[in-house]
Amino acid sequence: MNAPSASPDPGRHVQHVRRVRREDGREPLDRRLGRAVQRVTASALGPYQTAIVRIGVSLTWLLFLLRELPHRHELYGPDGPWSWEMGRQLIADNDAFTALMWSDGRLWFEIVYALAVLSAALLLLGWRTRAVSVVFMVGVLSLQNRSVFVGDGGDNVLHLLAIYLVLTRCGQVWSLDARRAAREARAAAHGEARDEANEDAHGLPPRRDVVGPLLWTVLGGFLLAATAFADVTGSVWLVVLLWVLWLGQALWWLVCRFTPGEPRTLLDVLANLAHNGALVVMMAEVCLIYATAGWYKIQGSRWQDGTALYYPLHLDYFTPWPALSDLLASSGVMVMVLTYGTVLVQVAFPFALFNRRVKNVLLVAMMLEHAGIAVLLGLPLFSLAMISADAVFLPTAFLVWLGARVGRGRDRLLSRLLPRRYGGRVPEQRRTGGENTPRTLVG
Amino acid sequence: MDAYDDAGGLEEPPAPEPDAPSGAGIASLSLPYQVVAAVALAVVGVLACAHLAMVFLHVAPSNTLTKRHGEAVDDWVYPEFEQNWKLFAPNPLQQNVSVQVRAQVAPADGSRRTTGWIDLSAQDAEAIRGSLVPSHTEQNELRRAWDFYLNSHTDDHRPNGLRGTLSESYLRRIVMLRLEGQRLGGTVERIQLRQTVRAVPAPPWSTERTDAAPAHRELPWWRVGPADLPGAAQENRTEEAR
Repeated sequence: MNAPSASPDPGRHVQHVRRVRREDGREPLDRRLGRAVQRVTASALGPYQTAIVRIGVSLTWLLFLLRELPHRHELYGPDGPWSWEMGRQLIADNDAFTALMWSDGRLWFEIVYALAVLSAALLLLGWRTRAVSVVFMVGVLSLQNRSVFVGDGGDNVLHLLAIYLVLTRCGQVWSLDARRAAREARAAAHGEARDEANEDAHGLPPRRDVVGPLLWTVLGGFLLAATAFADVTGSVWLVVLLWVLWLGQALWWLVCRFTPGEPRTLLDVLANLAHNGALVVMMAEVCLIYATAGWYKIQGSRWQDGTALYYPLHLDYFTPWPALSDLLASSGVMVMVLTYGTVLVQVAFPFALFNRRVKNVLLVAMMLEHAGIAVLLGLPLFSLAMISADAVFLPTAFLVWLGARVGRGRDRLLSRLLPRRYGGRVPEQRRTGGENTPRTLVG
Repeated sequence: MDAYDDAGGLEEPPAPEPDAPSGAGIASLSLPYQVVAAVALAVVGVLACAHLAMVFLHVAPSNTLTKRHGEAVDDWVYPEFEQNWKLFAPNPLQQNVSVQVRAQVAPADGSRRTTGWIDLSAQDAEAIRGSLVPSHTEQNELRRAWDFYLNSHTDDHRPNGLRGTLSESYLRRIVMLRLEGQRLGGTVERIQLRQTVRAVPAPPWSTERTDAAPAHRELPWWRVGPADLPGAAQENRTEEAR
């Protein structure tokens, strides 16, 4: 942890500990291994990184669904060019997961589309994150697998990340869940203080959660339907995963209520393990994306002679702004620099992970390139999906800073829009925003 | 995990010191629970490694392992983890492929008439131009349906299996949806598709010469049935229900 530390005390402490260890030789392997095991079981790593991926992915999908709202019937509807019956024949062959095969009715299609929109919005906000992330995944898979021939690389990234996100605890920060948890912790602390002050007075009983069990019951109904329609839902392992998640939620609730202590700690450990495993897979997935894209390009003659970029800028399907494309393509040197730069960055990225500074430079380069692709090639949602995936590698210090900036901006906006309601309360608002963010070495 | 930190930039809240009881993690559990946690750790580790290995083999070129165990890799990866990241690789597409259609129309007077070639891809390009967020209906639908057709047919237009026949009716339905908006002056009885390929001219600073002449490839005439018309599926189903 060699990041510049804003709060010097814990930082100095860690440095001190490390120096002591270095003096009496290298820490033995088993100790280090033990520490690593403790770490991956005790905490869900990368809370900010998984949260930003969650926000990016759900935002991309939400924007996509809203953009295609007028075209939803043509793309995914039962009477679109890729008709329900054609979809059924292909899915019977490739066994992909979709809830849209349960019925060929227009109403069911509208319900699924509406649920996909709703789940994307709720995942963005981090409301009941785990349950909503499952609904989100079902929405993504249902629509994309229904019409596989209208998607592109952006859909592919969303498809994969939607599945991986289900296994992560991606609502630890920047979510309504985190805000609720902070509020409950505050209320509990408040209650304890009062109990100490006055032995007779009972603290308020913890608020009964009605929404959670209700949501669980409703989702259970859908799960029963998925099981009843198992022969047309596809991907049996996914239905099994849904059952495991659903029963896991019930177990979590029961354990929290009746046997807190060791069983609860164990469940916490299991959830952390799943989260950390999924996080590693997501990071490796991004590396695989760039490695594949880069290494295959090296073999191409156009990438070798430095003209590759010139060609997409002249494809009718990818030139929304021909004048802009022509301008960029007019300079041979510029085209070559960007062509070589693209390959270099993509090939180098996985190896750059071994050096923090190089990694950050390449990350910025890739995000800028995707921003360029968004406009130049007319692929904004593909680019947003890729940037969301890249975000898993953003440094915590930057994300914390970004979160604080956004929080302040939001407060200022709210106090300007609703001066009566928020005018006098801005400092408090700011504080509640800050409480969502657990202290870190850099925060 | 320090190397991981340097790499991923994932600083955590100060990790509990190794031997200090922290109230969380495997260290705070009693032995039976620790065994469960250790088994879970092993399962997660094995699953993650297996998954990454499978995905790696899926995106890697054909090799010793995939030649021997390709089926196992496919079974794992398809359909939910399929991925293709050869974006613009090994070479970017260097030609504009446009799909064009002409139709045989029967006006009310009993005669027959064949329309000129209508460039559907040019309509897409027109819709994309000046658009900040092009729709999948403009950018992907026809373009990818055409790729799907080419990939599922032999050079002499014979479909290979289910995908081949599906791609034909998919194309017919897309085309009929597009023609719906055009005033052709009668019922469309048959349609014929062709592709026109124009090479993107070599850059001005290059000494290469590109053949600028468009290359055509015509498909056979297709008869248009009631199932190919927009909204037909719905009507068919309601009839079946009766």
